[in-house]
Amino acid sequence: MVKIDLLVNGKKHSLEVEEDMRLIDLLREKLGLTGVKEGCSEGECGACTVIMDGEVVNSCLVMAFQAHESNIITIEGLDGEGSLHPLQQAFIDAGAVQCGYCTPGMILSAKALLDKNPNPTEEEIREGISGNLCRCTGYNKIVEAINRAKGV
Amino acid sequence: MRLDVVGKNILRVDALSKVTGKALYPEDIYMENMLYGKTLRSKVPHAYIRVDTSKAERIDGVIKIFTHKDVPKNEYGVVLKDHEVFCSQKVRRIGDPIAFVVAKDLKTCHLALENIRVEYEEIEGVFDPIEAMKDDAPKVHGDSNIIYHFKIRKGDIKEGFKNSHVIVENTYKTHMVDHAFLQPESGVSFIDEEGRITVIVATQYPHYDREEIASALNMPEESVRVINANVGGAFGGREDISLQIHLALATKELNRPVKTVYSREESFIAHAKRHPMIMKYKTGADRDGKLLALEAEIIGDSGAYASWAMNVLRKSGVHASGPYEIPNVKVDSIAVYTNNPFTGAMRGFGATQVPIAYEQQMDILAEKLGLDPISIRLKNMFRKGSVTATGQVLTESVPLQECLERVVERMDFPRREEAY
Repeated sequence: MVKIDLLVNGKKHSLEVEEDMRLIDLLREKLGLTGVKEGCSEGECGACTVIMDGEVVNSCLVMAFQAHESNIITIEGLDGEGSLHPLQQAFIDAGAVQCGYCTPGMILSAKALLDKNPNPTEEEIREGISGNLCRCTGYNKIVEAINRAKGV
Repeated sequence: MRLDVVGKNILRVDALSKVTGKALYPEDIYMENMLYGKTLRSKVPHAYIRVDTSKAERIDGVIKIFTHKDVPKNEYGVVLKDHEVFCSQKVRRIGDPIAFVVAKDLKTCHLALENIRVEYEEIEGVFDPIEAMKDDAPKVHGDSNIIYHFKIRKGDIKEGFKNSHVIVENTYKTHMVDHAFLQPESGVSFIDEEGRITVIVATQYPHYDREEIASALNMPEESVRVINANVGGAFGGREDISLQIHLALATKELNRPVKTVYSREESFIAHAKRHPMIMKYKTGADRDGKLLALEAEIIGDSGAYASWAMNVLRKSGVHASGPYEIPNVKVDSIAVYTNNPFTGAMRGFGATQVPIAYEQQMDILAEKLGLDPISIRLKNMFRKGSVTATGQVLTESVPLQECLERVVERMDFPRREEAY
């Protein structure tokens, strides 16, 4: 077991984790953050995307102990008290949600993009979500949603 | 007519829960006292098996290992009951379920899987559907590999080909495709407050699932409940049973909640694929490009189980002539068992493969007759009053011509053609 301290969605956590535990397991199993989705377990699909110290990571490829002293944001940390993040609202309004399984990862990749580049071109948006697969093939609506949210 | 929904953007009722990460898929459900289940699957495509679970059963934390002996009625299948819940004598494909380990945690499940001994006595398999149709081919089930043969006979193709100025003959092949829905199969089973065996699953057919579970467990349907959680994509791939019966059986026997989550790899191995098809086409047209005859043979590889083979190959057969009026048609579409992964429903249900054949035939006919690809289609396409290959008279709206003309206009088709 390894003891780690980390900040998840603004809340401090100190916990013991197994050496072979992945960040996704820590978030889902230990902290109950099931908005983190597991689609492929090998960093291809992006469903498990979270933001770690401002960068998007596949939480299935990060070991839990590597998150020691890091700042993690999951989909559960996006909406404030009673209000949605502009990206969440834009995804609803643009019809960018179908089966919903890629949605948390998509929104987090979009957030990380907008945090760094508040006014991305369509090409930059597409590049920003290029690590996230949507099998319902709703990419156009997703790009539209991110475009809508960027000014807000 | 006033339309409240059509033509308007309506907000999805489930969108809010999905953008906030609150939407629950089966794997997101955790219950008190919950056990974990993992499936042992065949590593070879065709073999007689002997299974020894005794060593695995002794592992600390293993609660029970289920095999065919534990299943009251060891069969299921959407049309034909040709699947076994767990293979009893023979495996017919890589990935056939052999046993289901239930343990206190996932690590123990994995350890137990490694310790189940399966003796495979391999037998010759058949992987090419054309080979599989021969009398002396190894048989996957029973004494013939032919599951289904659909026929269309309209007019007289001999006469049609005799009068044809051009005849085009080709064989087209399509490959197997996986749906690759983003959420791998998962489920949780438990006994609800009314004593019913309850399975939470992401499925396309909760009512069929209930029937299949009740039948395999030899229970009345009222004692089984299937709850459809959020479904992370399906596209036809969740029409067959995957883990539903395994979970229900385990909860019934153990009286505890059980959870199973497939890995991506297991998901690929476990569920049906799109039928690969071999499509032999002969199409004849007169000097002006008017179609006179079509002869098509479509062979669909159903893999080791039938699943929706009849429905899929029937649809391929019905769609074999495309949206074109042809006076003389002979179609044979055949579904065949092989030892390949089994195939079933996927987006289009057999209507997706045949355009690859009939549309290429149209392009080649046009080229041979010195016509452009649009005019040959306009000459032959279905209109109101057309009679299809199956004899259906199209009496309702058939706006195909309008559609094609608009596409041609928007694509600036004549200019594009010149560019080539």
